[in-house]
Amino acid sequence: MIHTIVYGFTIGAILYFIAIGLSLTFGMMRVINFAHTLTYTLGVYMLVSLGALFKGYFVIAAMIAVVVVIPISYLIERCIIRRLYGESLDHTFIATFAIALIGVDTIKWIWGVLPYPLSDPIGEYLTIGGLTLPIYRIVIVMIAILLFIGLEFFFRKSIVGKIVVAALEDRDGVGCLGIDVDHYFSIVFMMGSALAALGGVLYAPISSVHPYMGLSILLLCFAVVIVGGMGNLRGTFVSALALGMIMAVTARYWSQGAETMVFIVMAIVLIFRPIDI
Amino acid sequence: MSDLISTQDLTKRFDGLVAVNQVNFSLQEGQVAGIIGPNGSGKTTLFNLLSGFFPPSAGRITFCGKDITKIPPHKRVGMGMARTFQLVSVFDSLTVWENLVLSTIRFKRDQQSVQSFFFAPARKRIVVDDCLKSLELVGLEKKASARTSELSYGEKRMLEIAIGLSLKPRVLLLDEPLSGLSDHEIGGVLDLIHRVKKNFALVIIEHKISKIVSVVKKLSVMNEGKILCEGDPEQVLRDPAVRECYWGKEEENCST
Repeated sequence: MIHTIVYGFTIGAILYFIAIGLSLTFGMMRVINFAHTLTYTLGVYMLVSLGALFKGYFVIAAMIAVVVVIPISYLIERCIIRRLYGESLDHTFIATFAIALIGVDTIKWIWGVLPYPLSDPIGEYLTIGGLTLPIYRIVIVMIAILLFIGLEFFFRKSIVGKIVVAALEDRDGVGCLGIDVDHYFSIVFMMGSALAALGGVLYAPISSVHPYMGLSILLLCFAVVIVGGMGNLRGTFVSALALGMIMAVTARYWSQGAETMVFIVMAIVLIFRPIDI
Repeated sequence: MSDLISTQDLTKRFDGLVAVNQVNFSLQEGQVAGIIGPNGSGKTTLFNLLSGFFPPSAGRITFCGKDITKIPPHKRVGMGMARTFQLVSVFDSLTVWENLVLSTIRFKRDQQSVQSFFFAPARKRIVVDDCLKSLELVGLEKKASARTSELSYGEKRMLEIAIGLSLKPRVLLLDEPLSGLSDHEIGGVLDLIHRVKKNFALVIIEHKISKIVSVVKKLSVMNEGKILCEGDPEQVLRDPAVRECYWGKEEENCST
């Protein structure tokens, strides 16, 4: 059971990395951003290429992969997402989904369709009281907790954080303070994309790397955002860990139903707390 | 005296509805103007056009002699145009102090005197002084550390006006600043307006005509998206067309 709990926290941590950007994008600009899958998957494929270049230096390859995604996400935001502000949700859905599909095809064109095998970069196990746990998974959970603390600090103590918190509540109101909300949104968008790439980079060694990997995890992340509350940063953290745990526990007893259970929970939450879009 | 704000044939259409129809409105430096009119007459739409929240369908807006028709809202604030909203707009997730600091610090940043990432500059003397001054002006200095969600509606309205004042505007647009307030709170807001009106120009949208007649020097009456009549408040309110479209209705309302 301890293995299941660690697995649940690992999945939850990965979901948190990806969902935080989705939550902020929707909460601040009312854009449902399917293009988020692209930055997630691109991060992974950058790791694949850089991993071959920096053999044995996973951390360096991972960091560069995350950094490379930032200018790409800036271009996506500047050229496409920014034109969608104030548009209806179906327009933003179609446009961002198109970006995701173009991204998948571009990845297939560059890296091919065959899955890439990546191995656990630490490859060590921690033995406590007869229990053997992979250190890499524990590291992922620790990074997620540190990220949560870091983001809490960022949103409580920084000017940018305060502006984002205010914009999540009332975007027009922030504009009335003479603040260019779009500028701050660009920062938040790039930050969210980099975190998605980080999630992909950390998850890749314990999952399967293929061009559609972003699309399959995106729906789970939307469930995290809906359960946690759109734009609710703490809610997203709790929801990601809780849904990750639900997936892990369900998979232990009914492997085919792991993802289904997440959407059942999401549906129940929507019944009792409909989202206002 | 040259116009601070002027609009030329300003028009806003929403599909088939013409909310603001070829409005020519002007305001001089330091002038206090009122805009009245029945519900749906286009007053708030005019404010949204002036402050840049709606792009006009036709016409142009000039501010300090500069065409600002296509300038986004935040830049208009930077130029000296601040506004409040019909439904009070403050940030409930922040404290009273943080609400004010965000507007004050931003103003300073435009002046390039504060360039910092962290909220620490909020403790800088100049920012603290500005925020304190604004809070004292509206009587909220003892609630500086309170979460905004804990304030009464009247206090939130005062905070919203304080935020507007802290932006150091050349013109402040107040959208129904007295709505939803008790008589005591209305007295407080009117007293505040009297105290600050010499510092900049003011435009006030208000339903409670009797409350603002003594404050404004110029009154414009809007009906069906057009300015029906404007000028000296006493004369405007005696205009038969105004009495027919608006004043009569208020009398009816008062009698009920």
